[in-house]
Amino acid sequence: MSAETATTDLATLSLAEAAAAVRTGAVTSRALLDACRANRARANPAVNATIWIDDPAAEAAAAAADAAVAAGAPLGPLHGVPMAHKDMYYQAGRPCSCGSLIRKDFVPTTTATALARLSAAGAYVWGGLNMAEFAQNPTGHNRHYGDCHNPWNLPFITGGSSSGSGAALAARFTYAALGSDTGGSIRLPAAACGVTGIKPTQTRVSRFGAMPLSFSLDNVGPLARTARDCALVLGAIAGHDPNDPTSADLPVPDYTAALTGDLRGVRIGLAETYFLDGADPDVVAAVERALEVLAGRGATISRIALPLMNAVSAYGGIISRVEAATIHAEWLRTRPGHYSTHLSGRMYPGLAIPGAYYIESLSRRGPILRAFAGEVFGQVDLIASPTIRTRLPTLAETDIDHGPPGTEERFLAVSANTRPFNYLGLPAISVPCGFDPNGLPIGLQLAGRPFAEARVLAAGDAYQRDTDWHARLPPVVAPPMPAAREATP
Amino acid sequence: MDDFLAATEAAVSRWHGVTAPNEPARRMAADLAATIAAFTALRGTLAFEDEPASFEAALRATMEPSR
Repeated sequence: MSAETATTDLATLSLAEAAAAVRTGAVTSRALLDACRANRARANPAVNATIWIDDPAAEAAAAAADAAVAAGAPLGPLHGVPMAHKDMYYQAGRPCSCGSLIRKDFVPTTTATALARLSAAGAYVWGGLNMAEFAQNPTGHNRHYGDCHNPWNLPFITGGSSSGSGAALAARFTYAALGSDTGGSIRLPAAACGVTGIKPTQTRVSRFGAMPLSFSLDNVGPLARTARDCALVLGAIAGHDPNDPTSADLPVPDYTAALTGDLRGVRIGLAETYFLDGADPDVVAAVERALEVLAGRGATISRIALPLMNAVSAYGGIISRVEAATIHAEWLRTRPGHYSTHLSGRMYPGLAIPGAYYIESLSRRGPILRAFAGEVFGQVDLIASPTIRTRLPTLAETDIDHGPPGTEERFLAVSANTRPFNYLGLPAISVPCGFDPNGLPIGLQLAGRPFAEARVLAAGDAYQRDTDWHARLPPVVAPPMPAAREATP
Repeated sequence: MDDFLAATEAAVSRWHGVTAPNEPARRMAADLAATIAAFTALRGTLAFEDEPASFEAALRATMEPSR
């Protein structure tokens, strides 16, 4: 085995494996960092997943982590694991671009609670990842830092807005990454890049120090290779935060304890209403096969018609557009040319939506959740659907600034299956469940009751015990195929 | 320019001091007609009792019962 292969193999460890290896002294934190660096050097020129890298700080953090292991100091559950995150989590004194030109030189004075909690668990930051400008597209386009490319097939979208988080995980140069999810921005790149991501229940994770996009719909959450890895990160970052009064003051369970592989008694319903409208047959077939796997773990599978989807769609769209336009109104007035064309174009109409529409959309949210939950969760525990119901489009096919007719429809279709769970506030995971004919990953989305992250993660973990989609390597980092031998007569 | 788009642009300019930054902005502003249609289609279809509007309360109320 060459030295390069040995180094990059460390980068294929899951977060759980990497953290355990550091804790036991089997590998050093520095070796993990070097493995991530090696894969970034191989893959990033093609995928463009990073906005900044801070090698000196990461080397210092790795050295400190290794010294702590050597000294027998108490170690956190993520001790010594290097991570890179969507570049919208503030770190005091460190630039944070938010994927934008407007905040290119922005240096926050506070640190995001999610980052502080990961640091307390022992992880450290070595880079900021590419993302949609101000987290506002589901594709991975970025005019200012370059589009992010899918590691499985470069002309195709990564999903967004946490595009770099999905691509960097797939290309094995981070063990986990924070994303944010306002309409699917964790689950979409997880699905498109063949990794795992969970949007927690609204209010489950503090949003302090995370760039706001929509006060009501924003969520902080992890992307990682596996559901188990997501459970580790979510366990570290979830819980009430006095700096974010909207965060729920509820106990945080041990999410990893729920990962038993046993789904007996769990009822899963494939959502027939809305979620399969116009769906690609290959995508639906992959999801149906995934449900058979879950049935093999003891789950009961059915089909379910979901109520109120027209209201969920209409009201959710009002909230996200009004809140984004409100947050950006000052810059739309004073620096409109500093946005990409499609972004300022999409935000502008939000300023025209009447306040009464917005208030109605907000005030209906609670009653609609109660009615939805009352009807649906009496029948099933988890709602299954494709994360993205179509085959993945290319970057060119979804380029609103330059695309052909129909571009906006293709663009919006990407997030059609994820947006409803933001308005409803429900936890939802995406796990890889196959590949389409273009060699691009397909995602299975599972959503549960409020604060049922443990059940959602347990289903994802059970699925991954019997499948290996999450373990496959994309071409940008896969070992080269052995040279074909000439046939011998 | 149709009347709806002209009125929308005038309203945004008057209320927010923002002019349409580009052609896609105008196109998407014109699409607000579809937003209004979706919204008005809901009128009369949702009958909820008066209840606390708090979404956070609804999240807790619909949690999984303790097992």
